[in-house]
Amino acid sequence: MDLIQTLLDGLMVGGLYATVAIGVTLVFGIMGILNFAHGQMVMLGAYTAFFVVSAGLGFWPALAIGMVAMGALGLLLERAVFRYTLGDHMQGLTASLGLIMVIENLAAAAFTPDPRNFEPPLPGSFQVLGLTLSSQRMLVLVLVVVLVVACHLFLQKTRIGKAIRAMGQNRTGAALVGIQTSQVTAVVFVLGSAMAGAAGVLYGSLFAITPYMASAPLMKGFILTVLGGLGSVPGAVLAGFLLGVAESLGSRYLSASFRDGYGFILLIVALLYFPRGLLGQRGKMRV
Amino acid sequence: MNLRFFFCTARLAAVAFGGLMLAGSGLAQTIKLGMVNSLTGPHSSFDLPASEGVLMAVDEINKRGGVNVKGKKYTISVASEDAQSKPEFAVSGAQRLLRDDDIKVIFGILTSGPGMAAATAFGKSDVLYIGGFTLLDTLLGKPGGELMIRTLNNDATVAKSFVPASVQELGVKKVGIMLPNEDVSRSIVAVYKPLLEANGVQVPIVEYFQPDTQDFAPVLRKFQNQGLDGMLTGTNDALVEAILRQATELGGLPKKFMYRGGSGAPALKYAKAVDGFTWQILTRDLDNAADPKVKGWIERYKAFTKKDVSPNTYWALTFYDTVFMVAKAMEEVGSVTDVKAIDAKVKDMKYEGVRTMRFDKDGHAQSDIDIGMLKNGKVSSVRAAAS
Repeated sequence: MDLIQTLLDGLMVGGLYATVAIGVTLVFGIMGILNFAHGQMVMLGAYTAFFVVSAGLGFWPALAIGMVAMGALGLLLERAVFRYTLGDHMQGLTASLGLIMVIENLAAAAFTPDPRNFEPPLPGSFQVLGLTLSSQRMLVLVLVVVLVVACHLFLQKTRIGKAIRAMGQNRTGAALVGIQTSQVTAVVFVLGSAMAGAAGVLYGSLFAITPYMASAPLMKGFILTVLGGLGSVPGAVLAGFLLGVAESLGSRYLSASFRDGYGFILLIVALLYFPRGLLGQRGKMRV
Repeated sequence: MNLRFFFCTARLAAVAFGGLMLAGSGLAQTIKLGMVNSLTGPHSSFDLPASEGVLMAVDEINKRGGVNVKGKKYTISVASEDAQSKPEFAVSGAQRLLRDDDIKVIFGILTSGPGMAAATAFGKSDVLYIGGFTLLDTLLGKPGGELMIRTLNNDATVAKSFVPASVQELGVKKVGIMLPNEDVSRSIVAVYKPLLEANGVQVPIVEYFQPDTQDFAPVLRKFQNQGLDGMLTGTNDALVEAILRQATELGGLPKKFMYRGGSGAPALKYAKAVDGFTWQILTRDLDNAADPKVKGWIERYKAFTKKDVSPNTYWALTFYDTVFMVAKAMEEVGSVTDVKAIDAKVKDMKYEGVRTMRFDKDGHAQSDIDIGMLKNGKVSSVRAAAS
């Protein structure tokens, strides 16, 4: 029973990691744009939810507003900054590091560094088959699965999704067959940022919200992008769940002091056997 | 025009000269205290009230006639420096105070980063330094730390008051300890575990977690369904609030908590979900003051600072009583400059102020503290002396 509870805890937190990793995979893995400010979208999404819930509008509007607001911010950043850094990792890196500083310090000045949290829609726990499970964590797990499946269907079934995948395979080739690469890049940014906003809202429903909360999800998002295979959304999702489960099992049955270390062990071992990542495509670059 | 300018200048010069003469005559009768505190920056939430406490005590001493040393009346003035919550500014502030030969006693700093930097400078000089930060305890009584005093109890002394009072009030019998994986946590366990056991409490589980942990579910599962009725945790409000929140959400965990920290804030939001929560108030509980001395102090504080008490105001009592002790020591040794004699007298004194203050021979505080308590949704406090 304890093992199942711990596995479910791991899947829940892994799902949160996967939601962040999808955005990183789309923007970095497919578009090739290094956007370290992606973590700041998670943080701003969490604050958006905090203020919306504090205003009495509730969790569900907060989730919708958080996603829309971060999608809009992603579009703004793409139009104002990242469209000029396409194809130059160093420029993208420099611009996003600058954005981190600006957004983080603005958030600290405006919201203060004090931790915030908001009332989750499903507080408390419930018993099922002898398991004691947190209601909100289970809700987060369900929402994460819905988001991941929706994102997958969008990429697989829609024209724009196919265009995104085509650009991920060969940007020049995609342009030659008539894909408006500039517009598709903007859509990728909106989609990735909206996923980061959703991750922020879900994070905020469980954990403390601070201006400095972005670094851990971002670091794990990049680990998962590499672990899953650059450009592979299913790979990033699989890696997210694996990382969450590894951290939970390690913390529960080994040492909780080494929590982040389990992820890196997983990364090293996985890359030894799968140098292109778990679901990296043949012919794609080795990570 | 020129004539008017001349008279105006002459009048200003006369006022300035008169002021200087007054100031000069005052200097001969003035004890100049130094004070370095983080008046700005993140640590100001501790140090700003602490500096207000010093200024308030000085004001009260001056209003009642000053310090009487061998029949000579002295008033006290304060030279204040801002450490800006940074070690480098703490050092430069300390050095400015040390350059002033009139300053023999220096108060200030409640946080260890700037505090250790300033104390290192004070340790090389012939001044009495009275501070509040945790790591000051590591310097007391050692070479360079002979003329130093810490006005807040160290962990071991606090624990001797906190553990028996918490065990009695919460009625716990089997407790788990959950702390971040830091050096301070190891020393907390070394102090608190034997004390809990000495008070008849079993401690079957001690767990350390990664300090930046956000998801506590896996580590909390270790405490689940173990027959525990309490948990000791720390070491800051943000961590403890997260632990409480997730513990109440996961279920199957104890609902009584002892917080090795100085605020009830982490538990207030979960007052209905927890059965008990105790915390350490290293000076006095100002929110539930029943003691007439504390009530009187609160009124004087409001009148002096022109502001109401806030959750951080209790730090203003860090140095408040010790300023009176220094003044009394000067009167008793008959000197305002013999730092060693003043230091020895303060360390030898028991002072019944707003707090009951005394120190050991090395300068460690042996004061009583208040234990904050949340039980049945109600907040209260009890006074506990170090046994």
